[in-house]
Amino acid sequence: MNRRRFPWLSYLVVVTGAVLTVVPFLDMVMTSFKGPGEAGTLPYRFLPEAFDLSNYRAAVDQLDLPVLFRNSVVATALITGSVLLTSSLAGYALAKLRFPGRDLVFRLVLSTMMFPPFLFFIPHFLILVHWPLAGGNDLTGRGGAGLTVSIVALAMPFLVSSFGIFLTRQFMVSIPDEVLEAARIDGAGEFTVWWRIVLPQTTPVLVTLGLLTFVDAWNEYIWALLVSTANPDVMTLPVGIQLLQDHVDPTRTMPVVMAGLVLSVLPVLVLFLLLQKYYIRGVMLSGLK
Amino acid sequence: MVNALTPEAAERAAATPRSARPAVGARGRTRHRQAVVAYLFLAPALLFFAVFLILPLGFALVLSMSHWAGFRLGDIDPVGPDNFTGLFADGSTFLAPILTNTLLFALGTVALALAGSVIVATCIDRLRYQGLWRTLYFLPIVTTVVAVGNVWKYMYEPGGLVNGVLNAAGLGSVAFLQDPGTALPSVVVVQAWASAGSAILVLTAGLKSVPESYYEAAALDGAGPVTVFWRITLPLLRPSLLFVCVTQFLTGLQSFALIIVMTQGGPGDATNVAALEMYRQAFSYGDWGTASAAAFVLFVVVLLVTLVQLWIFRRKGEDA
Amino acid sequence: MRPAHPGSRRARGLSRRHFALALPSALLASGCAAPHRGTGRPGDPVVLTLLSHYASGELKRALQGPVDEWNATHDRVKVRTKAVEFTDLLTTFMVRQAAGQGADILHPYCLWNGQLVRAGVLRPAPPEHAEEIRRGYSPAAVGAASVGGRVYGYPTETQTYALYYNKRLLREAGLDGPPRTWRELEETAYRTARRDRYGNTLVQGFGLSTVDDSTTVGQTLALLSAAGGRFVSADGRSTAIDAPAGRAVFDLEHRLVAAGASDPGVNVYQAFPSGQVTMVISAGWWTGSLKPLMGRDYRDVGVAPVPLPDADGRRATLSTGFMLGVNTASEHPREAWEFLRWLNAGKVRVPGAGKGGSVTRMSALQVSVGSLTGRADDMRTLLGKGGAVGKGGAGGDPNLRPFLDALAYAVPEPNVPGAQQAKTLLRKNIEALWTGQQSAGEALRTIRRQVDQEVSRSW
Repeated sequence: MNRRRFPWLSYLVVVTGAVLTVVPFLDMVMTSFKGPGEAGTLPYRFLPEAFDLSNYRAAVDQLDLPVLFRNSVVATALITGSVLLTSSLAGYALAKLRFPGRDLVFRLVLSTMMFPPFLFFIPHFLILVHWPLAGGNDLTGRGGAGLTVSIVALAMPFLVSSFGIFLTRQFMVSIPDEVLEAARIDGAGEFTVWWRIVLPQTTPVLVTLGLLTFVDAWNEYIWALLVSTANPDVMTLPVGIQLLQDHVDPTRTMPVVMAGLVLSVLPVLVLFLLLQKYYIRGVMLSGLK
Repeated sequence: MVNALTPEAAERAAATPRSARPAVGARGRTRHRQAVVAYLFLAPALLFFAVFLILPLGFALVLSMSHWAGFRLGDIDPVGPDNFTGLFADGSTFLAPILTNTLLFALGTVALALAGSVIVATCIDRLRYQGLWRTLYFLPIVTTVVAVGNVWKYMYEPGGLVNGVLNAAGLGSVAFLQDPGTALPSVVVVQAWASAGSAILVLTAGLKSVPESYYEAAALDGAGPVTVFWRITLPLLRPSLLFVCVTQFLTGLQSFALIIVMTQGGPGDATNVAALEMYRQAFSYGDWGTASAAAFVLFVVVLLVTLVQLWIFRRKGEDA
Repeated sequence: MRPAHPGSRRARGLSRRHFALALPSALLASGCAAPHRGTGRPGDPVVLTLLSHYASGELKRALQGPVDEWNATHDRVKVRTKAVEFTDLLTTFMVRQAAGQGADILHPYCLWNGQLVRAGVLRPAPPEHAEEIRRGYSPAAVGAASVGGRVYGYPTETQTYALYYNKRLLREAGLDGPPRTWRELEETAYRTARRDRYGNTLVQGFGLSTVDDSTTVGQTLALLSAAGGRFVSADGRSTAIDAPAGRAVFDLEHRLVAAGASDPGVNVYQAFPSGQVTMVISAGWWTGSLKPLMGRDYRDVGVAPVPLPDADGRRATLSTGFMLGVNTASEHPREAWEFLRWLNAGKVRVPGAGKGGSVTRMSALQVSVGSLTGRADDMRTLLGKGGAVGKGGAGGDPNLRPFLDALAYAVPEPNVPGAQQAKTLLRKNIEALWTGQQSAGEALRTIRRQVDQEVSRSW
């Protein structure tokens, strides 16, 4: 069959879909420039009357942006760094080392992906609160605030990713054993083999995994909301921006919220556009997004 | 690409390194050393699973059969299955509308996202600049749920974009999020909008793996595009479709971030879902037992829905 | 929690690698060290934290005034305020308590007292404070601050509900005063409501709005009180709304929505100030935010008592309130109660309030933002003849009068354990009624079933 027989219909469908996808983003940007009393009035207008920057000023004034950015960056960096490290270590062991119980461990890793995260939501919070010898706790985990006083609370439940281990393992399996054997015969230990030979060859999949993890961590909302409720010092960008909303009259503050959102969405969008090749490949590889 | 990641394929892949074995003399010692090193490499991950997977499971199970306000560990009061019976007692809102909403939310999202992404993916497959289209469709995936929720919430307002378009077309306004009849479908549209991008991506990858020769053979037989779609494209896409279905159902059944941002579960209970109810019971009402019980019930639902899908797709596969 | 460090003997000298591996453990360790409560050294002052919903604007400033005064005059005990939005307040109490970071002094909505006492968050007031509270406040305020006969805190903000109306819209419809009976209320609503050709509401006759608990449940319970009904029975173990009074309220609301005089989807907090709502029942605090929001248009706003089913009925309305209590987890309860007595019971002289006029700091604070406290004597001093008191000049606002009068006859919200859930269930069913998903009879039956199940749970 000639695949280009009905391209006009295909174009129509794809372009319509693309417009539907992009228009909400444009509306977000446009609303962020709307002046006081302009947003939410009838009849609706797409373009702002004048490109008013006051909403951005208001968002910057009302939010402690440096702190929110710092918290988001630290949590995201911790998660991404830890996922990359633990995934490549465990992935290497599962792919290239022979040891008793390997299949069992691999099955365990695969099976953890079946448990939905919400099941752990409540116990994770309790475990952090009762973390021994942290935040004023004694050895039995009582008496203090545990890890909830610390910014690591944002990252703790996401430090290891079963999917990450699985992905790196699948990739490392295809590295020829002869190369590794040669290095071992030259006297290299497993750690050196991992660092010098395996990691360089795994870079593409690590970039992909890093990006997937980065985007998820940066956008994470529910857990960050809970941890920020316990300790507002570790509030992240999404949580902070949601607080800009006036509860009594949300439409009044909508342009300011939109301005804050534009500021927080930009870094990820830029990163995605720059490295989308790796990101899209990751999603295709996994389908697990 | 997608099929390559099924567990069976993974097992096959895992078998490969066995072919290369060290010389017999050094074997015992090397093996022992490798085992120690391997477990050292695995230690961070295994430790994490112990603390953040196995321990929490036990904790959740104990809590689901206790009364506890969440403050002092010593106050956990075991009560047996009370929390579960409470969830299903007469007058409880958990079964209807909350659990029903959860299923409708997931089902609606999957149906909408799947239909949309199958259509768009087959169309994209025929066009040039595929990278550009994929990038555009992918924007919602990399955007935080706070942005997605707020933008759409605002677009649904009486003075927002959607009603503006309706009014311009001479139609009356709709109170999308305020009317309980439209609130859930409105949120479903947003969730589908936000998740269609990855489905499109997985499906385009699946389409790429359909050999061109199939289409050529069909063209020789004089099959029309609709027949080709039903007889060739869809059956060959089955693994990708299964993947999209299962993962989107999983997400749909447990996600409530969008609902927290857009409606807080209202109006009434119109958009309240099980995971949100769990969150509220624990962190607002201090009823951690009921919350944990609700989490387990939802877990069972998730498990059942996943198994049913696997079963359906497997049966369909045997028929074909 | 040190990550495994395999092969380190062989990898000596590669410091970058060491750093990469050590980083997570270092961050963890730093988290473990973070202290959060005072220094604990003997000479240093005790620092009490106070968590309220006075998060922004006037309210935040009003509370900060006396707190700054306390901190300036007391060396041994300092108070630090923290605040979140009201919608997040209960969750914040519960989550911070669970995380071992509960504030020393809490400012809960009295509806939650049952839940907070059951969960062991609130400490009963010591006898001398309880005595002080029983003596100083109106019975409704004391009742709201008590659970099972024990007093748990100093009542602060007390809200009563009354009818706000837009004088201009009434004039335009040829009406010269607010309604006094339900029949008049309906007629006024129908005569003033208007819509455009797309069905967008231009003017609501009577603002029934699903924005929050106050607009949904507050309005309904105020009307219910006016009709002589109640939501929960006196012992708090069952619902009482499924009765003729409840039926009358639900029928009234249903008629208003069905006739198009009310549009529950519209945010009344936004629509009323812009002149798109003729009448709405709301609490007294709203005057404080309407004034700056409406500017000159505020002169069009009038307030009247909640209309009664019949002209000769007995006046009644809903009252809600907050109180300041002390956390069971606080390490300095004595200091906390001492501060609360200073703030809520210690009297200060009020300039311009007549000879010998003195009120508590809390009363002055509340009146300055357009609210009331349950201390009738203070309210008379502050709002009485020529009482142009308070930084906001609220004392001169005649619109506060009906709320003050209502202190004498208002009925407090129930505060049994599970009251918040019961209120949420009530709200959901009222919304279902307003949006036509349930008839009045169905809504009442469902409420009885659901709330009975909730309040009768074993703990």
